[in-house]
Amino acid sequence: MIRKVVSYIITLFLSFTAVFFILRLIPGNPIRAYVYMLRSRYGFEPIGDRTIQMFEEMFGLNEDVFSQYLIFLRRLIFEFNLGPSFMAFPTPAQELIARHLPWTIILLSVTTLLSWFIGLMLGVIIGWKRGTRFDNFFFTFSLIFSQVPYYIVAVILLLLFAYIFPIFPSRGAYAASLTLFDINFVISAIQHAFLPALSIILVSMTGWLISTRALVITIVGEDYLQYALAKGLSNSRILTRYILRNTLLPQTTGLAISLGFIVTGAFLVEWIFVYPGIGALFVNAIGLLDFNVIQGVIMLTMFTVLTANLIMDLIYPLIDPRVALT
Amino acid sequence: MSEKNLLSQHMLRKSLIILRSALYYIVKSKKLLVGTSILSSLILIAILEPLINGVRLGGLQSSAIGYFPRLQMPSLNHPLGTDHFGRDVFAMLITGIKNSLIVGFLVGLVAISAALVVSLFAAYKGGAVDNLLNSFTNVILILPSWAIAAAAVAYIQRLDLTLVALIIASFAWAGPARQIRSQVLSLKSRPYIDLAKMVGERDSEIIFFEILPNILPYIIVGFSYAVIGGILAETGLRLIGLGAAEIMTLGLLIHIFMTSGLIIQGYYHFIIGPVISLILIFISLNLINIGLDELFNPRLKKVTGE
Repeated sequence: MIRKVVSYIITLFLSFTAVFFILRLIPGNPIRAYVYMLRSRYGFEPIGDRTIQMFEEMFGLNEDVFSQYLIFLRRLIFEFNLGPSFMAFPTPAQELIARHLPWTIILLSVTTLLSWFIGLMLGVIIGWKRGTRFDNFFFTFSLIFSQVPYYIVAVILLLLFAYIFPIFPSRGAYAASLTLFDINFVISAIQHAFLPALSIILVSMTGWLISTRALVITIVGEDYLQYALAKGLSNSRILTRYILRNTLLPQTTGLAISLGFIVTGAFLVEWIFVYPGIGALFVNAIGLLDFNVIQGVIMLTMFTVLTANLIMDLIYPLIDPRVALT
Repeated sequence: MSEKNLLSQHMLRKSLIILRSALYYIVKSKKLLVGTSILSSLILIAILEPLINGVRLGGLQSSAIGYFPRLQMPSLNHPLGTDHFGRDVFAMLITGIKNSLIVGFLVGLVAISAALVVSLFAAYKGGAVDNLLNSFTNVILILPSWAIAAAAVAYIQRLDLTLVALIIASFAWAGPARQIRSQVLSLKSRPYIDLAKMVGERDSEIIFFEILPNILPYIIVGFSYAVIGGILAETGLRLIGLGAAEIMTLGLLIHIFMTSGLIIQGYYHFIIGPVISLILIFISLNLINIGLDELFNPRLKKVTGE
């Protein structure tokens, strides 16, 4: 137990360090790159050299990389401060992230759960009816779709259902005219989230379907299932009590791990549908070279992935006592 | 006959066997057959791109602006119409296919070579070297590679296709490296390796002639996943407007469509080409992967119940 927590902390520390130094490899420094970008894109001299130096001092960029690293760690651990953002100066980066995070968490948690549920159910059914045309269709479909990136599906859905047949809104997370949090707001939010959610579910469902099907097929070969069949138990009883229950354990683990990807999940889908989540924030930050936000989002994604893994590691022995013994 | 001659004959025979069995498997497995035929037609288009565009555009670059009337609907002259800069969309599309495939294969080659070097070295040497390289691989696997690549590409001013591919590949090697390492570890303890050692084969001979041929399927699968990953990552970068500015890839075509107002004005045919080409690339590479998996892991086939 303690070993797991310690190794979690070490991995987290190592990966944060790795990201810090990888991002410092970029040529120049964030301030100069930002100024250069402003110059070349908008063609004016926004600030002079003295001001640049002032900002460099303010961001601690005039010191060597290692002391920058120490300052960064101190700020992160003791003040939970990622440094000011450029595009919304002087709002700190963590505030921007906190503002966008809820949208991403809602969208991704709902889609992750739904695709897990649909994939599990379909997987059990086609695993049970393996070899039939029904199985063949869904299985081949899933094999092909499991590697298609979300953004391709998103582009197609956007084109089909927001432009050619304008059923759903093409951008945003809610109608701008709504400011109160009431039933209309919720309806509008669901309408706006529908297409992004669908593009994620269509793809990520297939992964669950494939793995569930494989699990079901091994379970069908087990002796206890043959015995249950020989006893003459009804199909529905076998499906729910024997097969579903035994697939549930490994698939719940998988679900917990994939919940860790809730932040990273769909950067580009969010960008395509102009959905105000972390992904859209990240893409905007990339476009404007907003260094602290870029670094903050990357570290946040690693934090969630590792934390979800840790939680799963800690909970798993409770779900499956066999693991605690080994 | 000299030893060198014998060695080259041995290699020739081995590669002939591999080639023949590859052909045999391709014809035998439906998935491999479909996958390789789609992929090779796309590669053929990519190879013929200079020729097709040379004839159709009369020696003009497909990205050259203002040569044709703007915003034409599809016609015989312009099968996919022209865009708002007067560029032939079909010509842009096949240039895009070519460049996207180039990026993918570059990423695949670099990633798989790096993966091979790291994993063979680590697994064969074992001990502290293996531990160090293995934890390094694991750290790379944790990093959100696409996001970091996006940051790197955004900050570097003069980019070309190779540099973008290298940046993507610097994260893409870790996955195949871990896979190959575990395979090498399991092979290393087989009796025939001990036998080879006893006969006095050198380390390099054991690695190249005893281990490498046996992990070939994993190398191919790892390569083709890296190609998919490379194309996917590059397209994602281009989608949000990052990457080598002047070079047409499928991602850039989608980016142009999404951001230049073509989508709002209803020029939908513009998008069909890049989207379908991308899907074909993914499907064909996946079919190849699945086909190979089934061939070399008969156990998997039993599990999937076919």
